[in-house]
Amino acid sequence: MENKSFLQKLLGTWNTMTIVTVGVGAALFGVLMNYGGIPIFTNTSLTTAMIVPVVVGAMYGPVPAAVACGVGNVIADLIGGWGLYPAWSIANAVAGLFVGALPLYGAYITDGKFEIKHMIWYLVCLIVGNALAFGLVAQVFTVIFEGGDLNVSLIQGLYASVGNILIEAVVGIPVIKLLANRYASRSNLTEE
Amino acid sequence: MNNRMVINYTPGPTFLHKLSGFTKVFLFLVMSAAIISTFDIRVLIPLLLINLIEIISMKPNWKPIIIVFSITFVTVTLIGNIMLFFVSPAAGYNNVGAEHIIWQASENLYLSKEWLWYVFVFFIKRTTSFASVMAFALATTPSEFASGLNKCGLSYKVCTVVSLAYRTIPDIANDFVNIRNSMMMRGLELQGKGVSVWKKIKNTVILLVPLIFTAFGKVGNIANAMDLRGYGKKKKRTYYAENEPTKADKLVRTLTILLLCWTIFYIVYFRIINPWPAKYWCPWLAREEVTYVNPLTTFFFLKWFK
Repeated sequence: MENKSFLQKLLGTWNTMTIVTVGVGAALFGVLMNYGGIPIFTNTSLTTAMIVPVVVGAMYGPVPAAVACGVGNVIADLIGGWGLYPAWSIANAVAGLFVGALPLYGAYITDGKFEIKHMIWYLVCLIVGNALAFGLVAQVFTVIFEGGDLNVSLIQGLYASVGNILIEAVVGIPVIKLLANRYASRSNLTEE
Repeated sequence: MNNRMVINYTPGPTFLHKLSGFTKVFLFLVMSAAIISTFDIRVLIPLLLINLIEIISMKPNWKPIIIVFSITFVTVTLIGNIMLFFVSPAAGYNNVGAEHIIWQASENLYLSKEWLWYVFVFFIKRTTSFASVMAFALATTPSEFASGLNKCGLSYKVCTVVSLAYRTIPDIANDFVNIRNSMMMRGLELQGKGVSVWKKIKNTVILLVPLIFTAFGKVGNIANAMDLRGYGKKKKRTYYAENEPTKADKLVRTLTILLLCWTIFYIVYFRIINPWPAKYWCPWLAREEVTYVNPLTTFFFLKWFK
């Protein structure tokens, strides 16, 4: 993965494998969004769905992760039946773009590479991406599309980004490490 | 869990089921645009009625729909509105443009007639959106969804992502339930009182790792099967689900185009050329009484900077 250009890393290679991974990722996103919440108080839960862009991004790059997030949120809306919220789908796609940007700063999980340096970059990306997506993008599109109340929407966005950052950091880092170890143990063969 | 699923996987017998994929997707997209573009109850009520008639005409299994609707009603509408009441009682003034106070406790906590109207219209808008999503989910199978999107001009690779995701949901939901149940049987605490949030999050890692590996473990098999059948070799593809348009298709497409024309006219005339001063129309307010409030000035934290 190292000798690819920036654009290739950003877009990912769209072969059959990537398409299927993104499709399965979107389905997993929908399932986790609907059933996989961690209950905190009554009716308040942390969603675990944002683990999907981490995994897809680690394997194929940021744009596949963003597509998985965006399509996944539409699917989640369709099966959850709470109406279609295009604003939040776009915001999730933007968040997925940042969260899945692992190959851009040199964390090649498929080569088994994930070090402290990458972890710091990852955390920075989480904070920037979530703040941008749920603090700005979701609000702008909520005003355009839905006309909901900005104060409530902002509180929801704040809650969503704090929850997402927590899940992506606490659940995401062990999962990435595990994936990296899995790939590393397979990649120590050399061609003769 | 399975009785909460509303997705339809087999083509049904009624009029709407028999339409081609493109007709359904086109109708759904135009309907969504029409619902999103308006905040006027005089437009929303007819749209709601159209969608309700669509749902009733398909003779669905009502149980999951009612369960989903009541869950959404409690979580989004009731709790959301209680939150709204405490956070911004001025929402009525900001969106409807006037204020007739019914009950007041303090300067920042009061109830106005317009606030109730705003909440009511917003609820109708949500319900209309819910009904259109339900009608679409009940009528469309994954292949029809993908073929319709493809005919709308989307690259077929993205269409495959959509139909694949739609199709694998029951499998992944089953995997999720199985893994969660077996983990809970082994004593992993994921729910219930007396378990700290931190513990729950840590236990979620243990739950999610096998789920991710099971879900993405299937990818290789599916991708190989698709490659062997020559997937992705050409720039275009066709779908079994996309038939020649029948008479019913042509009728529904014409009606959809009319709805599209109305939506464009509505946006151009009633939102740009001759807009109502406030965002929401209200029956007891004349045009002169209504004041426009810029939504960007209504953030609660702006108070701290004055």
